Order: sequence, then structure tokens, then C-alpha cells
Amino acid sequence: MVDRMEKRRVTIVATLRNSIGAVVIVGIALAALVVLSLLLSETPMKTLRYFFLGPVQNTYYFGNMLNMAIPLIFGGLGVSLAMRSGSFNLGGEGQLYSGAFVATISALALARWGSAGVVVALLLGTCTGGLLAALSGVLRMKWNTSELITSFLVSNAVVLVVSYLIAGPFMDPATNLIATRMIPESFRFTRILEPSNLSSALFAAVIAVLVVHLYLYKTKSGYELRLFGLNPRFAAYGGIRTKWYQVWPMFLSGAFYGLGGGMAIFGTYYACMKEFSTGMGWNGLAVALIARHRPGAVIPAALFFAYIESGARNAMLHSDVTFEIASIVQSVVFFLVTSAVLQKIGSVQRRSV
Amino acid sequence: MNPVAIPVLHSAVAIMTPLLLAAMGGLFTELSGMLNIALEGLMLMGAFASIVFTHFTGNMVVGIALGVLASMLLAAILGTVTLHLKSNVFITALAANLFASGLTVVLSFKLFGNKGVVVFDGIASLPRLDIPVLAKIPVFGDIFIGHNIFVYMSWVLLALCAWVLYRTPFGFRLRATGIHEQAMVSLGMRPSRYRFIAFLVSGFTCALGGAMLTLNLGAFVPNITSGKGWIALVVIFLGQKKPIGLLFAALVFGFADAFSNYAQGAWNVPADFILAIPYVFTLVAMVLFSIYTSRKNRVE
Repeated sequence: MVDRMEKRRVTIVATLRNSIGAVVIVGIALAALVVLSLLLSETPMKTLRYFFLGPVQNTYYFGNMLNMAIPLIFGGLGVSLAMRSGSFNLGGEGQLYSGAFVATISALALARWGSAGVVVALLLGTCTGGLLAALSGVLRMKWNTSELITSFLVSNAVVLVVSYLIAGPFMDPATNLIATRMIPESFRFTRILEPSNLSSALFAAVIAVLVVHLYLYKTKSGYELRLFGLNPRFAAYGGIRTKWYQVWPMFLSGAFYGLGGGMAIFGTYYACMKEFSTGMGWNGLAVALIARHRPGAVIPAALFFAYIESGARNAMLHSDVTFEIASIVQSVVFFLVTSAVLQKIGSVQRRSV
Repeated sequence: MNPVAIPVLHSAVAIMTPLLLAAMGGLFTELSGMLNIALEGLMLMGAFASIVFTHFTGNMVVGIALGVLASMLLAAILGTVTLHLKSNVFITALAANLFASGLTVVLSFKLFGNKGVVVFDGIASLPRLDIPVLAKIPVFGDIFIGHNIFVYMSWVLLALCAWVLYRTPFGFRLRATGIHEQAMVSLGMRPSRYRFIAFLVSGFTCALGGAMLTLNLGAFVPNITSGKGWIALVVIFLGQKKPIGLLFAALVFGFADAFSNYAQGAWNVPADFILAIPYVFTLVAMVLFSIYTSRKNRVE
């Protein structure tokens, strides 16, 4: 018993020491923000106050920030799965956007089905994202085409095609927005923190994290996936179907993006607007990287990103900086997040499958 | 020859130039053993900085020089973080792209109060060059004369790159770094030094490619590079990582782009589809190329 407690204590200490690097990185990113505000803003203190405190100043902004994290959690999970298997999925933008679009038009078509329609529509959106990513997996499996580049190229083309469909055949003539028609009331998730946009999709996101965690660490397939990611050749000698693990994780990865897109529509937007998801795919990737591909860490990483985004949005509304300041802060995180030198600060050597 | 073909090919030669320039720099990083996906961001940085500095200094040469410097600075940050802080080059390069797209918009808002298209009225158009010898050759002459100075400069630079890579000790060592890092270390050389220089070179050529985009237009459009840096990366792969290969691969993409521009006017295809063509085309080229290589490897 004492032994177990001792072991747990050691694990906690190790985890804390391992996160020192992450804290340093976040610290540098926030310092960069302070410097940027001092340089760019006429009223730097005001800008910084809105940036740091804006997202938590009232229920409205706080709920919106949590809401913003939802698609990032889905995307982060997707990328983590791909990365764990040694695949790169750079097509998040297109997978999320097309997933959202297909979920929306399915919802419009299945309007009379009620809650069964919700499930079917989300499933169709999920599969759309999944199949787009799986295509890159298949190309890699068959001809060793870099999935990193193909997923990016497919995604870029798909974004444009979806935009065309939204602005053309599927556009709602009744509004001035370039968007599809609104999905029926019965398809919309309940708001759980009025007056903010936060919807019950949050629960789905948390459940998804649990599911991915269990899949990766408690199932045979998850074990094989991680093993293949760590050492494909060893996995092959161990009798693992290596071809399958070049395609399946990519499918899952795209599927989570697609699901995230569908959730964003059913929970927040209610109609698929042209380019509504720009940046979400990349941010999902960033979240996975900060979380170092651990499903459990995806939630705090997504919250951090959502915090920066909504902070920037707040500062833009109430002060004199533009929203893109967020991408500079995010880029600082990207620059440093994989640094072996920074990660080593205070860390305990630990290697696990 | 078909009367449509000559204008299309003529504009293909112009369109391929930024790709060729970016791919050249990318070739250095690629041969040194790093996948540099930051070409896009470096181009964007160069594109923005060149036209802004030209606007403020009133001198295009100075503007381009400062633009090149800005892009090389970003490349130096990228190199330092990657090589000295030992980060994943892929992620840091992604950061450089994000940084460039953020910074250009933030600065354009700060300097011109505008996040959209910024038109610079006072900027003269790029000098065009007519090479009389070329003009005399039928068809070939029609395609290759009357381009702006960047086009011809890119050819000279390409020759220079080939010379540096294949005829100088520096080039040998750079390529050796990519082939066998440990061998370099055991010979007492520092691979990170060659890689750092390769990053700087890519900053240099990408900036020129970007500068051509904005100066040719006389305006800065947010995200004006629109995937050109990524296509340049594919040009490197398709060109089999050889200088002369880059030239042909870039021409293929230039042609695809020129053709889709033509198609837009001639057949009234929706603009979004036109914009998608280069990506689809690149994808198909990538796949065909990898089918070809995997067949070849199987035979060997």
C-alpha cells in the first residue's frame, strides 16, 4: 500500500517536472504578447487587460471561450491519433470544413428524422473527413507518396470546392450571408451556459477524449497503432498489419476533424458559412503538438489556444490591435513547443510506448 | 503553332518564376537534409517587406534588398530555433508560416490601417527586358522575351545555384550533410552550420520570389503567396532535387496555372475551381511521380 502511494507520488512529481518545459514555453509566448502590445498598441495596458482578462470577465466570454475549444479538442484528438501512428495529417482545414458542410446538408435533407437525423448527419460528416484523410493514407500505403503533402493538397482543393458549393448551389437566397440554409431547430444542441454560445457539444468533446484515451492505451488496436508509430519495422516483424496502420489512423484523424466540424455547426453556427472554419484545422494541429499527442493533455492545450484566440478577439473589440496578433503568439508557441532543449528543463527521462 | 498557345506559354514563364526562385532556396535546405515547409512564409515575408520598404524608401532596389533581409531574418530565427534549440523542423517551419501571415496583416493594419488589399500608387512597374538575340528565334523568342527582370535573374541564379552545389567545396559539404550527417561530424565539420546557411539561402531566394509577386502587382494582398511556397516544395520533389529538374517542374506548374487562368476567361469556370486546379494538378503530379519511383525501386 505504502509502495503504491510512493509510486504515485513519484509519478506526480515526474509529471510536474515534465511540464516545466511547457510552462516556460507558454511564458515566453505570453511575454511575446506583452512586447507586441507595447509596440503596436497606443494603449498597451488596456490591450493587455482585455487580452488576459477579457475571456474570463463574464459568463458570455467565458462560455464562448470554452465553446471555441470544442472543435480544437476534436481536431487535436484526430492529429494525436495520426501522429501516434507515425502519420502526419496536414489536411485538417479541409476535413473539418467538408465534414461541417456534409453534416449541414445532410441535416437539411433529413430534417424530418429528428434525433436519428442528428446522428446520421454527424456520421456522414465524420466519414467525409475520414475518407479525405484516408485517401492520403492509401496513397502512402500503395506508392509511398508523402501523406504530409497529399493531405495538405487535398485539403486545399477541398476547401475551395466546398466554398464554391456553399456560395453556389447550396446558398440560402434568403440571407445576405454566404451560407447554407439554417438546420432545423430539432437538430441544434442545447445551450448550456446562456447567454454564451457554449453548447452540450462540450460533453461530446470530453467523452471523445476518454474514448481516444481508452482506445490508445486499453485496446489491442490502440497498442498496435502506437507500436507501429514508434517503430514500423519492429511492428512488421511483430506481425502487425502495417498496411492497415498507414490508413486507419489517417481515417480516424480525419473523422475527428469532420466530427468537430459537424459539432461546430450543430452546436454553434446552425448553418455552414463560407470559410467559417478557417484556422481551426491548423489550431487543432497545434493543440496536438502542445499536448505531445497525449489525449488527456489535449483539453488543457485546447483551452490555452482558445484563451489566446478569444483574448485576441477581445483586445480587437475593445482596443486598437487586430485579431491576427493571436497568430503571432501562436507561432511563438509553435517555434518552441518541440524544442528538445526547452523540454529538457527540469524533466525526468521517461520513455513509454 | 496554335495562336492561344504562345500567350499561355508566355505567361507560364512569368508565373513559374516565383516558384522557381522559392524552389531553388528550398533545394539547399532539402539537400542539407531538412524538409523546409517554411518557403511559403519566407515568400510572404519577402513579398510584404519588399513592397513596403520600396514604398517608404522610394527606391525599388533598396526596397528589395531590405525585403530580402527581412525574409533572411525570419529564416535565421527558424534556423536558430530548429538547430540550436533542437526543435522539429516541420513544426518550426509551420510556425514561420503562421508568423509571417500574422505579422504581415498586423503590420499592414498598423502602417496603413487596412487589413485587406493595400495598393501602392507611387511604385513604378518592374523593368522589362528585351534580349534581342532571343527575339530573333521564332516561337521560342515569342515565349521568352519581354519578361520582367526577375524572370531572367532567376535563370542566372539557378545557374549559380547549380555551380555552388556541384562545383564548390561548400556545395559538396552541404550535400554530404544531407546524405550522411554522422560522416560530416566524424570529419570534424558541423552539419548545423551548413543547414543554417541553407536556411539563409532559402530566405534569400524566397524573398525574391515574393518580391516579384507584390512588385509586379503594385499592391499587397493578404496571403498573396497563396500556396506558392508549398507548390515550390513539390517542384523540388518533382524536379528530382536537381537544379535543371526544378526548371522543368516549375514550368509544368507555371503552365498549369497559366492554363487555368486562360480557362477561366475562355470557358467561364467558377473562380474557386480555378484556384483549386494548381493543388489538384500538384497532387496528381505527386502521385504519378511516386508511382514511377516505386515501380523503379521495385525493378531494381
